Amino acid sequence: MSSARARRHGSRLGGLAFGAYVAAVSVFLLAPIAVAVVLSFSSVSQLRFPPPGLSLQWYVKAASTPEFVSGFAISVGIAACVAAVSVVAGTLAAIAINHYRFRGRTAVQTFVMLPLVLPTVVIGLGLLQTLGWYRIRTGFLAAVLGHCVIGIPYVTYLVLASLASYDLTLEQASLNLGASRLETFRRITLPLLAPGIMAGAIFVFLLSFDNVALSLFLTRGDTLPLRLMQHIQYYADPSVAAVSSVLILFSLAVLFVVGRLLRQREDIRLVA
Amino acid sequence: MISTAGVADIGVPGVARSRPLLARVRQGLPPWLLLLPALTVLIPFFLLPLASLLRNSFNRDDPTALMVADFTWRNYVRVLTDTLYLTSFGNSLAMAAAIAATTLVLGYPFAYFLVQRAGPWGPVLRWLVYTPLIVSVIVRVFGWIVITADSGLINTTLLALRLVDEPFKILFNVGGVFIGMCHRYFPLAVLPIASAIAKIDPALLAASFGLGAGPTRTFLQVALPLSLPGVVAGGQLVFAAVLSDFVMPLLLGSTRFRMIAPAIFEEAIGNVSWASAAAMAIVMLVMTALLLLVTSWTFRRLAPWARTL
Repeated sequence: MSSARARRHGSRLGGLAFGAYVAAVSVFLLAPIAVAVVLSFSSVSQLRFPPPGLSLQWYVKAASTPEFVSGFAISVGIAACVAAVSVVAGTLAAIAINHYRFRGRTAVQTFVMLPLVLPTVVIGLGLLQTLGWYRIRTGFLAAVLGHCVIGIPYVTYLVLASLASYDLTLEQASLNLGASRLETFRRITLPLLAPGIMAGAIFVFLLSFDNVALSLFLTRGDTLPLRLMQHIQYYADPSVAAVSSVLILFSLAVLFVVGRLLRQREDIRLVA
Repeated sequence: MISTAGVADIGVPGVARSRPLLARVRQGLPPWLLLLPALTVLIPFFLLPLASLLRNSFNRDDPTALMVADFTWRNYVRVLTDTLYLTSFGNSLAMAAAIAATTLVLGYPFAYFLVQRAGPWGPVLRWLVYTPLIVSVIVRVFGWIVITADSGLINTTLLALRLVDEPFKILFNVGGVFIGMCHRYFPLAVLPIASAIAKIDPALLAASFGLGAGPTRTFLQVALPLSLPGVVAGGQLVFAAVLSDFVMPLLLGSTRFRMIAPAIFEEAIGNVSWASAAAMAIVMLVMTALLLLVTSWTFRRLAPWARTL
């Protein structure tokens, strides 16, 4: 009896220790992000934490720093193009790999996924050394193409995952009922894959938006992450934190909006 | 009679052969048509660059031109014997091993809690793991600079508590890179482990308890072995990611602790030595591939049960 109680007592202690451990790891995960957000409201230019006073001056300064503003526009442009190309190419590739049995299927699947396991530095350097063949100079187009090399496999991976629970007989039924291939694709395949495709689009957008390893080789240092990197290296002041906070808000807004869109879709499907 | 047979002989096989051919073409076309957009990007901008990198690694760097076509092993010999390059490789490998070990040890209990015990906290903790993936890496670097700098959060606290007399050098040192990378790659270790733990059939754990094993023994002999595939996958992901990371060494580290990814960049852009940069990249590629193959193979030999998972 007493040993059972002792054991229960011990397991509760163990549970407490476990909880404390998880809490410590959670603090570790959030600390740098929280510190960056708090510091963006600092009233002084030194990176002192906690800040001696509060102000919005670093947001004003960040918004009036042309490198940040143009960097943001360039990065959004690249990321949007990358997301669009990757979603189309990646989704079609996933459908080909999932729906069809053809010679070379495994080889193609391995090839499409390969960029995910190779070091990005190697991909970036290889691209830098071959851009000349295609008469492409470092800049917007080079960055879009380079990011797509990583973006396409991610979309393929995510869409393949959502195809795992996909019922091919629905397409068969649609075709048997007289719908054309295109109509079946538009009205059956695409809506069922929408969550996976959406997840892929956001993920790839953020991936490209935050990319340093490839952009360093393929652009002229004008994307937002590269501008921020230069800024940190030469004069670290809280304006980087202000941009950081805006970026966090930006990521959360993208996720929130897409989450809402997906939920609406689910409602529609439930009603139908 | 003979003539009709002849016609039939010629005609029928022809029809029989052409039908399946057409059907085969029609069946064969869609997958490659669907793959076309992906391959139009990946072949010229991924496959050919890798091939050209391999070729360039045998070229000769020329101080007056960009590269001179050649077939020499000189670049490889230099990359694999010069102490400057060797220490870069060594530092990167050591850091990758340390980060993989740390994130796995720290991440395993966290993943276990996330899947088995979190209850109402589950969604919150899941989001916590995802945040580092969503928040820009520069934001996190900035946060760590503020925390680990000589006049940063950790050092002012340590000084105020009189635990140290002078600031503890973390930022722009090995320690800064280590902390930043642990933070950056923690999710890469946790997510595969969590999905492996989630796949464990609860009936197996119940059976272990039913047969008289305590919680410790059940964990060590049932749950842990079954979740090992996730541990191996997480370790491989983290290891490969550390090798190719250059934001962390560049912003949180110092030139006294050279790592391979910034070294390749420096060689290609700073020194404009494309051939030797290519050789470094190929060595890194081979190292990564070997590592993935060797760990997967060893794991399959040592843990045959994982094959059925």
